[in-house]
Amino acid sequence: MAAEIKRDEVLKIVRDALSDILEIEPDTISEGQSFADDLEADSLALIELVEALEEALSDRVDGFRIEDEDLEDLKTVRDAVDYVHEHAND
Amino acid sequence: MLPVAVDAMGGDLAPQPNLDGAHAAALAGTPVVLVGPEGLEGLTSGGSTLGLIHASEVIGMLDDPAQGVRRKKDSTLVRAAEAVRDGKASAMISAGNTGATMAAALLRMGRISGVKRPAIATPIPVPGTTPTVLLDAGANAEVQPEWLVQFALMGAVYARRRFGIENPRVGLLSIGEEPGKGDTLRKAAHPLLAAAPGLNFIGNVEGRDVMSDDVDVCVTDGFTGNVVLKTLEGGMQAVIGALLEAFAQPDYKEHADALMPALLPLYETLNPDTYGGAVLLGVDGVCIIAHGSSSARAIENGINVARDLVEHDMVTEIREAIAAAAPAD
Repeated sequence: MAAEIKRDEVLKIVRDALSDILEIEPDTISEGQSFADDLEADSLALIELVEALEEALSDRVDGFRIEDEDLEDLKTVRDAVDYVHEHAND
Repeated sequence: MLPVAVDAMGGDLAPQPNLDGAHAAALAGTPVVLVGPEGLEGLTSGGSTLGLIHASEVIGMLDDPAQGVRRKKDSTLVRAAEAVRDGKASAMISAGNTGATMAAALLRMGRISGVKRPAIATPIPVPGTTPTVLLDAGANAEVQPEWLVQFALMGAVYARRRFGIENPRVGLLSIGEEPGKGDTLRKAAHPLLAAAPGLNFIGNVEGRDVMSDDVDVCVTDGFTGNVVLKTLEGGMQAVIGALLEAFAQPDYKEHADALMPALLPLYETLNPDTYGGAVLLGVDGVCIIAHGSSSARAIENGINVARDLVEHDMVTEIREAIAAAAPAD
């Protein structure tokens, strides 16, 4: 079984991906921020994030995928980190 | 050069106008490859034989753009964008779902480094002179003031490379010419545009200026830009329709016939088919977004526009313009 991916690692991956997509400094991204209201990420930016996370984790988690129907539940950075942490370690 | 990838299945009338336009462009010397289903008929026509990149799915005009790209990974749009990304094509063109074209290009080609958001640039015809480049024409309904500066920089590069305007005049679309006129977005964007290096910013312009010779690049948010675009399209269609109806009256037919040689060039100028579609600026490749009801001629012209932008290396120039305007670390 692959080694567990720690939550801190997931947070870094999410922050780095958001930083690339939104062209903002990773340090300015906090877990409590809302994608829509605080980070002004539109639906396309969220899809970019999902694809970036799937790509980033593809080497470590075979077949890792964020289901489209789960996307609407991911409102904040914390939601995304929790989701990825949980599903990557299933 | 590498071929231009044509989405064979995009558009209301697909695939025929895409095939006919692709053949016409190929016969005129532009390399073209179609992206469509295996067994697509019409790959050979009139002495032209086109290559085919297989794609078994189609993202429909009513499909959700981002979900369509996520779920239909073997769609013509996704495969066309991947062909550009993977160095199998120099550019792509589609008359299909505009949002999905944008999403496919963004997700597969990626953004140019430093670009906050891609924008759709549409040439607005201006009788007697070069078109005005309107952007954003619908990619981003809500924008930040800083994005408008990037739109201006990208639009200026496009106007230079597409229409040969050496130092394009950039205007901010608002509801008055004075710097203080407009909503919060316009008021915040004005000083940023005025301070942007390398930009020939002429200040605010109004809706009536878009089809005039007073501005070359008209910058606005995607919501306003799309409303302006559709209003102009509808207005021009209404005027042309009314003129044709009047000309068909028996009393005026003879006079109308006499006027036709003068009016046809004007019609040609105003006809969207002449320009071949809009361009998605800010992605790392050339992506032409053709009108959903594009004719074969529009597709052919769009392919030729793609070739010109590739040959002029527009993407590199946009990359340099965005990098030069980025704040120093």
